[in-house]
Amino acid sequence: MTAEAALLELAGVSKRFGRITVADSLSLRFQAGETVGIVGPNGAGKSSLFAMIAGDLKPDAGDVRFDGRSVLRLDPATRCRMGIARTYQVPRPFENMTVFENLLVAAYRGGQLSRLQGYTVAARILEETGLSEDANRPAGRLGLLQRKRLELARGLATQPRILLLDEVAGGLTDPEMAALVEIVEQVRQRSVAVVWVEHVVHALTRAVSRIICLAGGRLIAEGDPQEVLANPEVKEVYLGVDIGA
Amino acid sequence: MRVTRSRRSALWGIVGALVVVVALATLPYVVYADVTDLLVNAFILVVLASMWNLLAGYCGLISVGQQAYVGVGAYTVLVLAQNGINAYVAIPAALLVSAAVAVPVSFLVFRLRAEYFAIGTWVVAEVFFLALVRVRSLGGGTGTALPGLALIDPVLRQAVTYWSALAVAGAALLATYLLLRSRMGLDLTAIRDNELAARSVGVRVTSAQRAVYVVSAAGCGAAGALLIISQLNVLASAIFSVQWSAKMIFIALIGGLGSIEGPILGTGIFIAIQQSLAQLGAWYLILLGSLAVGIAMFLPKGIWGLISSRLHLQVFPVGYWLHRQDSPSPLAGEPLSSGSRDFPRGQGRGGGS
Repeated sequence: MTAEAALLELAGVSKRFGRITVADSLSLRFQAGETVGIVGPNGAGKSSLFAMIAGDLKPDAGDVRFDGRSVLRLDPATRCRMGIARTYQVPRPFENMTVFENLLVAAYRGGQLSRLQGYTVAARILEETGLSEDANRPAGRLGLLQRKRLELARGLATQPRILLLDEVAGGLTDPEMAALVEIVEQVRQRSVAVVWVEHVVHALTRAVSRIICLAGGRLIAEGDPQEVLANPEVKEVYLGVDIGA
Repeated sequence: MRVTRSRRSALWGIVGALVVVVALATLPYVVYADVTDLLVNAFILVVLASMWNLLAGYCGLISVGQQAYVGVGAYTVLVLAQNGINAYVAIPAALLVSAAVAVPVSFLVFRLRAEYFAIGTWVVAEVFFLALVRVRSLGGGTGTALPGLALIDPVLRQAVTYWSALAVAGAALLATYLLLRSRMGLDLTAIRDNELAARSVGVRVTSAQRAVYVVSAAGCGAAGALLIISQLNVLASAIFSVQWSAKMIFIALIGGLGSIEGPILGTGIFIAIQQSLAQLGAWYLILLGSLAVGIAMFLPKGIWGLISSRLHLQVFPVGYWLHRQDSPSPLAGEPLSSGSRDFPRGQGRGGGS
């Protein structure tokens, strides 16, 4: 949190659904090339936060600035073309399209690539995410794990500058987890900001340099992963949950 | 790495389609006019069902008001013919006028979602109808004859009408094919499968839907032009009838939504049922209705969906097929990492999207 200009900045963002508050005057900053983990109990407002950044949800108050410019009035497609990519917690594949085609549409529209660039990028990301074997399968025939991989791959294909990962690690085996952490690190090295919401905390601690803990739409703690997870208040909101750290 | 547009060569489909078109084009020389008249009717229905399929099968837009553009197309031909322009020459004008009308209308009806959109489109069609019956010179509510064509030798006229209808149907299918093969085709399939996710990967959903709505209106306008030319008269209540929407929906549904082949097959089935059972009166309609309900329940991708998934058959392939090789890609600058596995076999594309 230096004077360096933030890639993405939330300033006093609030959102309520009736009596439920999913964001209470949240102010957060994310820099290019950093990996940030977001933890918090169910209903803490993590997915809503992503929805407000990506444009699926409009905040009641506050501002979302990308590259120093407010994006509040921009629709999700435009935000994606600017470089904001999100994955969905419950995967939303284009079921009647092949895995390769799922990536192509993301590369052509979100990434605004040419036809041949799109082919190359999509094929490369399939390799990186271990989906090459399934390239020509309809996405609707994939199992849950492959669908989660596809969410990640499709997000990458949009050529993001900030990648919002919503619980992509759930259910992965240890080697798969290691591969995922490696992909995230590779992406970060291309100066992409990666913001990762995850319940599998031991995956986060391996990948991120900073953790943010949210509860009830409020910022509980923020900073070094180990310190945040050792914070009594963080332990309190996770009461009864094995945080595995 | 190599990417082709289908698993097998698309050549067979193209050659087959050309052979069929050429064979159909020679028909006026070999069969009587009752056969070509029936086929004119079939070509009109193929166009209408294909246009409805583009809207519903690819954009998720359920319109029951496409008869608005059937009417606009027909009346465009009428107005031009009344001013001395040959009706056949007026067909492209009908197409353009319908498309032009669809642009402002889209801004109106696109404010509505799902069932409200369906009702909104119907209301627009009714408004067009109510406006046109007030124009005395266009026949008002009692209809009027199309001037100019009655003087031409009937045999020649029927043949030219037939060729025009064949050309319009061929052009409509070709346009659909090219649209779906283009990058916009990917957008449309993505929108149909998951609109929210399509937006979040950068697809401009409303622009893509508007483009298709305008294309669909153009096609329906051309079909309307063919209708007035083949009937030599126009009756506002018939040309703006919601019956046209019912036929489009029925044909697209039984043939198979979300494929180019479906509406062609559906038209064939519809015409066959119509020819063999129309004399049954009310039972004919009951049968049509039951068939539509049965197919909607048990074969959501229609009869073509069943055939293509069983036989892995696609006449008009619009997908992308990634072939992986060991050798560095001739297309790409950077070679891909290793992996000498064959591409997976035995997995046809679902439904021909």
